[in-house]
Amino acid sequence: MSDEDPAKPALQLKSQKFRDAREKDWRTLSRALDRLDQGKLNSFSTDELLNLPVLYRSAVSSLSMARSISLDRNLIGYLQGLCARAYMGIYGPHARFKDILTGYFGRQWPESVRRIGPEFLLSLACLVIGIVAGWLLCAGDQSWYSALVGEDMSGGRNLSASAADLKKTLEGSTDGLAVFSVFLMSHNTQVSIFAFALGVIAGIPTALLILHNGMLLGAMLWLFARQGLLVDFAGWLSIHGTTELLAIVLAGAAGFHMARRIMFPGNLTRKAALVDAGKLTGSVMLGVAIMLLLAGLLEGFGRQLITDTSARFGIGAVMLVTWTVYFTQVGRRLTLKFEEADHGRA
Amino acid sequence: MAAPKTPPILDDTLSFDAQGKYQRRVTYITTPEGVRLPFITATFAERLGAFILDYLIIIAAPVALILLFFILPFEQVDWKRAKGLGDILMILFFMAMFFVRTGYFMAFEMGPRAATPGKRVLKIRVIAHDGGHLTPVMVITRNMLREVEFYLPLTLMGMTMQGGGWVALSAFLWTLVLALLPLFNRDQARLGDFLGGTRVVHMPRQSLGIDLADTEADRRSGIMFSRAQIEAYGEKELGVLEEVLRERRPATMAAVATRIKTRIGWDDPKNTNDVPTDEAFLRAFYAALRAHLESRMLLGKRRKDKHDEVR
Repeated sequence: MSDEDPAKPALQLKSQKFRDAREKDWRTLSRALDRLDQGKLNSFSTDELLNLPVLYRSAVSSLSMARSISLDRNLIGYLQGLCARAYMGIYGPHARFKDILTGYFGRQWPESVRRIGPEFLLSLACLVIGIVAGWLLCAGDQSWYSALVGEDMSGGRNLSASAADLKKTLEGSTDGLAVFSVFLMSHNTQVSIFAFALGVIAGIPTALLILHNGMLLGAMLWLFARQGLLVDFAGWLSIHGTTELLAIVLAGAAGFHMARRIMFPGNLTRKAALVDAGKLTGSVMLGVAIMLLLAGLLEGFGRQLITDTSARFGIGAVMLVTWTVYFTQVGRRLTLKFEEADHGRA
Repeated sequence: MAAPKTPPILDDTLSFDAQGKYQRRVTYITTPEGVRLPFITATFAERLGAFILDYLIIIAAPVALILLFFILPFEQVDWKRAKGLGDILMILFFMAMFFVRTGYFMAFEMGPRAATPGKRVLKIRVIAHDGGHLTPVMVITRNMLREVEFYLPLTLMGMTMQGGGWVALSAFLWTLVLALLPLFNRDQARLGDFLGGTRVVHMPRQSLGIDLADTEADRRSGIMFSRAQIEAYGEKELGVLEEVLRERRPATMAAVATRIKTRIGWDDPKNTNDVPTDEAFLRAFYAALRAHLESRMLLGKRRKDKHDEVR
């Protein structure tokens, strides 16, 4: 452009020549990004698509150039925004849905769970201790029951309930129980998120939370056992409980893992350890949410439709075995490969 | 934190918005190609504003649902006979509440814009700090930590106010530190951001303005400056001048022109017809100053402001 007019070049600043030469590309990129933002990816021709990364890279190089030769703040600000938008367009959150799914369920989730194995055992121990303690406390002194199990959680399962009353709560009926199940599911998810998040504070609140939930369960077990309904109650619980309790234990384990990495970051800086732990526990927690959803479905539908205790035990056991096999076996070979690759690089 | 001696304009952790207005902190993201891209860090105020907006939506959602229940013709339903319908409605209500309380932030941030409605209003969004894709796991981690950053202090505050004593008060203060973490680090990141490996950045819609330095027009107008006159100012003043010229407020331009004329000892031509307008004068001075500073810049000699030594 400047070459066409022989009178002008001497008076143009270098930064202006630079801008004249490249502005067209920036505008093209900006228009393409507008179209991307409107979700019109399908309207791009192959050439336009192939051109997009080229334009992106040229904009990025323009930016670093502009920062070193131009003092036009508007220009630099514009380029900064343009590059940021282009980067978002190219590296935004859209990956292929199918890849995310197979990657997550096929490898990431079970692998993350395996990596927090020690914390899982600790969390499980908390739950078991809680159950035993809840039972023993109630057996020692009945008044503990109402202290542990609040009115909103008990749903009529209190000390004064007779065996017949209690048996009724274990039967499949749609009377309001479906609603109660959904309430319980959202409650459980909240508890597990809380157990996880509390890990940031040295993990002690996580332990307390898991213990408390265990005690609640222990107290209820005691109540039903007192009326000779232990097996029925265990069956009623196991159909969804194996999934649900496992999920809560996993959430606690994720919290413990986070606490451990914050307190003892090892060779990494604390910040790097935090990011690392966040990724690992985040993958576990996404799975926990899915497990709780599944548990809610089992609770809401399975438990209402299947009233036979042995069938309930069967489903609960199948779920437990499935989870165990899934978490211990799936994605193992891939894990090994990754480790080998890492060693190779090192 | 940048050492105080670093000239602010040369400190590459700072930048300006498209109007060249004020300097803002920048978060650098290294893209997979190895380019360091500057992103304007969202301020605590912007993030708080977005959060309040989102929270208003979260509070309004159940109210809207209940209103909807009364608007729809449910009074025609015989509740004793349609027991299932009531259950389904209750389940839907609980599900919706659950989603709003737990899933709102996650669902929106996993979307293509990586921002909740509140964030979109304030033009901020979430990005991955490692330069890669923003993954669902990152979004989930950063939002689950909201429990300790927001709900826990809130609960503890309630406990303190109800006479929870020293324990509740100290626990509340502790969690308050967690909640206010963005105020104490350069990236203004909260705990969830650190754990999720994410950052929140400001992405305004920016337009490319005209180039203010029109040397051709200045040559025709015949306004010339001596080297000593130009060397009165540095890059910071150039930025302020650009801002004034882009805003084009007559009163400001007159005031700035007067100050510059006094400082550089400028004498207006005797013939009143030849006296340039304030804008023409300022633009000419801008062009001259920019040409001078940019040519020095090419030699690696930068002058941050008028107090800096002449190089």
